[in-house]
Amino acid sequence: MDEEPERTKRWEGGYERTWEVLKEDESGSLKATVEEILFQSKRKRVTESHGQVRLGMMRHLHVVIDCSRTMDDHDLKPNRLTASLKLLETFVEDYFDQNPISQLGLITTKNKRAEKLTDLAGNPKKHIVALKKAVDTVCIGEPSLYNSLHLAIQTLKHMPGHTSREILVILSSLTTCDPANICELIKTLKSLKVRVSVIGLSAEVRVCTVLTRETGGSYHVILDESHFKELLMLHVKPPPASSSSECSLIRMGFPQHTVAYLSDQDAKPSFSMAHLDSSGGAGLSLGGYFCPQCHAKYTELPVECKVCGLTLVSAPHLARSFHHLFPLQAFTESPAEGLHVDRFCQACQGELKDKSIFTCPICGGVFCSECDLFIHDSLHCCPCCIHNPSNP
Amino acid sequence: MKLNIEGLLVYFPYDYIYPEQYSYMLELKRTLDARGHGVLEMPSGTGKTISLLSLIVAYQKASPLEVTKLIYCSRTVPEIEKVVEELRKLMEYYSKQTGESNNFMALALSSRKNLCIHPEVSALRFGKEVDGKCHTLTASYIRAQRHSDPDVPVCRFYEDFDAVGRQVPLPAGIYNLDDLKDFGRRKGWCPYYLARYSLLHANIVVYSYHYLLDPKIADLVSKELAKKSVVVFDEAHNIDNVCIDSMSVNITRRTLDRCQGNVDTLHNAIQKIKETDAEKLKMEYRRLVEGLKEANVARETDVYLANPVLPDEILKEAVPGTIRTAEHFVGFLKRFLEYLKSRLRVHHVVQESTPQFLKDIFDKVCIDRKPLRFCSERLQSLLRTLEIADIADFSAVTLISNFATLVSTYSQGFTIIIEPFEDRTPTIANPVLHFSCMDPSIAIKPVFQRFQSVIITSGTLSPLDIYPRILDFRPVTMASFTMTLARTCLCPLIVGRGNDQVALSSKFETREDFAVIRNYGNLLLEMSAIVPDGIVAFFTSYVYMENIVASWYEQGILENIQRNKLIFIETPDAAETSMALEKYQEACENGRGAILLSVARGKVSEGIDFVHHFGRAVIMFGVPYVYTQSRILKARLEYLRDQFQIRENDFLTFDAMRHAAQCVGRVIRGKTDYGIMIFADKRYARADKRGKLPRWIQEHINDGSLNLTVDETVQLSKHFLRQMAQPFRQEDQLGLSLLTLEQLESEEMLKKISQIAHQT
Repeated sequence: MDEEPERTKRWEGGYERTWEVLKEDESGSLKATVEEILFQSKRKRVTESHGQVRLGMMRHLHVVIDCSRTMDDHDLKPNRLTASLKLLETFVEDYFDQNPISQLGLITTKNKRAEKLTDLAGNPKKHIVALKKAVDTVCIGEPSLYNSLHLAIQTLKHMPGHTSREILVILSSLTTCDPANICELIKTLKSLKVRVSVIGLSAEVRVCTVLTRETGGSYHVILDESHFKELLMLHVKPPPASSSSECSLIRMGFPQHTVAYLSDQDAKPSFSMAHLDSSGGAGLSLGGYFCPQCHAKYTELPVECKVCGLTLVSAPHLARSFHHLFPLQAFTESPAEGLHVDRFCQACQGELKDKSIFTCPICGGVFCSECDLFIHDSLHCCPCCIHNPSNP
Repeated sequence: MKLNIEGLLVYFPYDYIYPEQYSYMLELKRTLDARGHGVLEMPSGTGKTISLLSLIVAYQKASPLEVTKLIYCSRTVPEIEKVVEELRKLMEYYSKQTGESNNFMALALSSRKNLCIHPEVSALRFGKEVDGKCHTLTASYIRAQRHSDPDVPVCRFYEDFDAVGRQVPLPAGIYNLDDLKDFGRRKGWCPYYLARYSLLHANIVVYSYHYLLDPKIADLVSKELAKKSVVVFDEAHNIDNVCIDSMSVNITRRTLDRCQGNVDTLHNAIQKIKETDAEKLKMEYRRLVEGLKEANVARETDVYLANPVLPDEILKEAVPGTIRTAEHFVGFLKRFLEYLKSRLRVHHVVQESTPQFLKDIFDKVCIDRKPLRFCSERLQSLLRTLEIADIADFSAVTLISNFATLVSTYSQGFTIIIEPFEDRTPTIANPVLHFSCMDPSIAIKPVFQRFQSVIITSGTLSPLDIYPRILDFRPVTMASFTMTLARTCLCPLIVGRGNDQVALSSKFETREDFAVIRNYGNLLLEMSAIVPDGIVAFFTSYVYMENIVASWYEQGILENIQRNKLIFIETPDAAETSMALEKYQEACENGRGAILLSVARGKVSEGIDFVHHFGRAVIMFGVPYVYTQSRILKARLEYLRDQFQIRENDFLTFDAMRHAAQCVGRVIRGKTDYGIMIFADKRYARADKRGKLPRWIQEHINDGSLNLTVDETVQLSKHFLRQMAQPFRQEDQLGLSLLTLEQLESEEMLKKISQIAHQT
């Protein structure tokens, strides 16, 4: 029963897409297709994000992963759960890469319950291990949006006011099984200034629309796997801080990495504080980062000191968050016909075939739309400006 | 924005306009110019109401002598209120743009129940009670009695209105029902009578169909409306049934029993009045000898709506001698009643034409045709003479006398069917006499003849050409408009087969087929897993729904569905259904998701909109043919064939498809809305069925979505839902399906717009 319909579905999937493309050609001038609209919104995102806005650099994010029956669906390969977990792994890495002084926690929901997979912590490795382990989860029952949000705010509400409190829900199911009225919870979330965003894997659900609208989050539904990835990456970038959030100075420690050798007489092997609670993991080691305040040892940064509560970071971490504050200026869009000189993109050297081209306002370099997106999303600096040192 | 529609300056109260609205106004303008009638189909949610109002108001302002009044007929009170609100917006825009204060008067009219402000009367729950109570307080003789005896209770609101209200016209403005009530309270005037009186000089009147179509009410309310009016019937896809219902009479044994009671009361009242006030009866007698001249005089001035119950000739004659005196008339009624009782004591079905019936009644109880025709009028006169206040109690005898008048007046277009029992319960004797109208044009004819332009419009009127035929009028424009869309937001799919290739159909032969039922269940199950929030499923009848649901329960399908969504069921009980609806909406709202199982032609299929998440998919199980074994229907089909040359099959299909279109049309209520429409019957794929769907649905059915299996449907729907879930803003619509004034005026767009209207 399971094998046969599976094959027909896949076949239809392929069939369907070709048909979509054909239709677009026929009446392309009449109807803007959904893809076109999507592309427009992508562009908009790039242009919108520029401008001096205060961003929440210290983030506390809970990711809720739906592990209900519907995650067994095979429309993402091999199934929704495996695909989502895999994408989440890269998400976790990127998240800590871009927000080094932030924290993340994982929650799963299935069978009308919500469970904490990992606590809020700043260590990507732990999350990734947990995610890898979660692949074998049996997907049963319905998810409970209420329970998972409730669980998430239990920890989030204790976070200090200058940090952002966020929840990201990966929801596959179209139904939720709640013990109480979710509208009340939405009000609580709103008053706690928790921003909830949802990525839907199947279709638009009303309650999520309301939830995200009320709490100021975003709601997206995936089209396919690559779109899913794109949507996840949207959440890597820190959201603008709400004007009402407090400003405060934060005490931070910048421990130096001490390298010690066995031959050294003074060197004593010691435990890393971060690994004390997890039974497995690293044992005794010699070197590490020592907290400048209490000398507790850690093998990895960033971390919050277990002993004295000081946030420990390294300087490069802070520097990496820097580009959020001074983003690359948006390139100006102009129609391709206006260009006479060279019809090649400065970045990929490909021919400019699109309707419009993008020009860097500083160095005047010309780029295609793909490279424009790449430069703004990943590089964060214009390759031509760097190439010509005369143009700072 | 200000539009120029073929030389007419139209104020449109919004910054943006849909192309089809522009096209609609063009057609409407042409209809008004030609002083003719029109049939216009435009999907709901595309701003039909505001287009109609803007254009007609502009027309009224431009040429106040050509079009003096707009009569807007809608179906329900909420719809009436909606129209008034749109109108208010339009008028505000007018005064903002022109700087003049508004000199238009528009008002809504509804029954006493919705307008009464008398503290005791308005507390009553049922419309009939309110009407009756109101009558006991405001009838002319009650008020006359008050002159001699000040203790007789009257309605002070009516008294005040009668004393001063008529001299001072209602100030110009827009009045919905609440505004009227407020105004009435402030002045201490009865809002109902104020509204009825103000109809005469209002520029725009918004009220229910019945005020124009039902001869009994039309006679009271709409008699004096000016000839140069434009009449609009909105949501008019069922107008023929409204016409027929207003002319048909059903008589059961209970009606006759109650009627017997009425006649006895009348008899006693006559005896009493004879002892006390014999003069009154004599006066009535004299008046009747004169004939119904009074009414005749009024009719000759040619401002009255012809009353189909009372044909012209009747007024020229005097009331026949046999029923002139009150006792004779009561005796006559008794005889007639006995005759009807004897007719109801049948054991087999009888169907006869009106002449046959008249001949039989003459043979059996010697009642002639002529006195029968005067029956209704004579009864009214008697009730007036006897000063019976509470008319509501006499509904049974009024019904019988109406029947008598109708049966003796019309020899064509009606049939009499006497059934000893209902078809469903052949063992329980429950005799009914159906006096059924088969020709909707009888009721609506006076409207078409009297008013200069009548516009029939709705979201689903396809095929357009059938309406002029069954309503017997000649329109100058017939047009169907499509919905221009920036994204394809509706997804009609025809599911013809199950996954096991069993043909899905609700046709009679396969109705009990286990495989079909299972596949239907499978379809619902699969859809419940992929469609978010609400799904509405329609069945062809209650019986069919019960069968299927019972069978699903046995097969465990219901249990599986309930893991995805909650299930609610529409029942014939209105209170139960509205409860189910409320819970259904709650379940859609909080993310649990729900399925509403309902019936085509039921309450849900007609009046209730499932906007956005309340209806993301609608599934039509089977083709909703009307119950074809019904004798009334058979008689009507025969009549249509003989009189209008419409084949039985054509009419049945037309009727089924308009109901199917109504059902599936429930989910799309605007351009930002989206929904899947599933036609689960292989017969929909045939050209004769498909071709009868409205154009705006039809053009989205391509060859690829004709005969799908359940699996394919699920695949397509999934894809559709994901596409539709992508963010969609107003800017995306702009220039395609939403226009600014500049965009509208471009050559290219005007050319495109001219293609939107599809003339037939």
